[in-house]
Amino acid sequence: MNPFDPRTVLFAKHAQHVVLIHFPIALFLAGVLFDFLGKWTRNAVLETTAYFNLLFAAISVVPVLATGLLAWQWALEGQKLKGVLLLHLIFGWLSALLIWTVWLLHRRARRNQSSRSAYLLGLESVAVVVVAITGHLGGFLSGVNGPN
Amino acid sequence: MRRRVFAAAFVVAAVSSISIFAPRGGRFEVLAQEKAATSEVKIDNFSFSPATLTVAAGTTVTWTNRDDIPHTVVSTDDPRAFKSKVLDTDEKFSFTFSKPGTYSYFCSVHPKMTGKVVVQ
Repeated sequence: MNPFDPRTVLFAKHAQHVVLIHFPIALFLAGVLFDFLGKWTRNAVLETTAYFNLLFAAISVVPVLATGLLAWQWALEGQKLKGVLLLHLIFGWLSALLIWTVWLLHRRARRNQSSRSAYLLGLESVAVVVVAITGHLGGFLSGVNGPN
Repeated sequence: MRRRVFAAAFVVAAVSSISIFAPRGGRFEVLAQEKAATSEVKIDNFSFSPATLTVAAGTTVTWTNRDDIPHTVVSTDDPRAFKSKVLDTDEKFSFTFSKPGTYSYFCSVHPKMTGKVVVQ
């Protein structure tokens, strides 16, 4: 099959999830980094950059969740949820909820023109850890974290 | 009396030497047992072990997933000679190789996991 055939992308079963997952991870981590820098240097441009990174991270989570569930049903044929698969699913949903919450709190702070409290930076730190654990577990499922 | 003892000793020695230097049938039995023992492939740590398995035609090979991660066993031939469902931990898949040849296979979930069955 030609690699540029659209069917290779549309019907690749699990491949989309493995590809798309990089977007929310990268956008969210960059958003948190810019937020820390913006708060530290009191630079409004950095804070705005952080907001838009977090916005696009929150948006890109949606197709990632959808393709993740499809990968479970298609590539893994709806395997029983246990072990690494169950943990990945739990941490995946938790990551999504944290990413959405962080973005919503940023949005509210921007609308109210209020400064964000320190608890938001704490929440962002927790979210980074949860996202990292989810990615680590996903790496095991996809074989990336396996032995060479 | 001594002659009888020597005769008995000779018979015992002869019988034991026959059993030690067994005819080909006995050796075949041992080989057959070895073949049967190696018709199992273990899936563990993201690899098939042994990666290359040589069996006689008609042998049934059984793959067992010892990993915590789901795996599959899929032939690379076109059309596919065999394809397992997704194997959970400790699940097995068996296939009987009736025709001689080399059968390459991989895990469709983790395509870098590959193996080969050589049927003689």
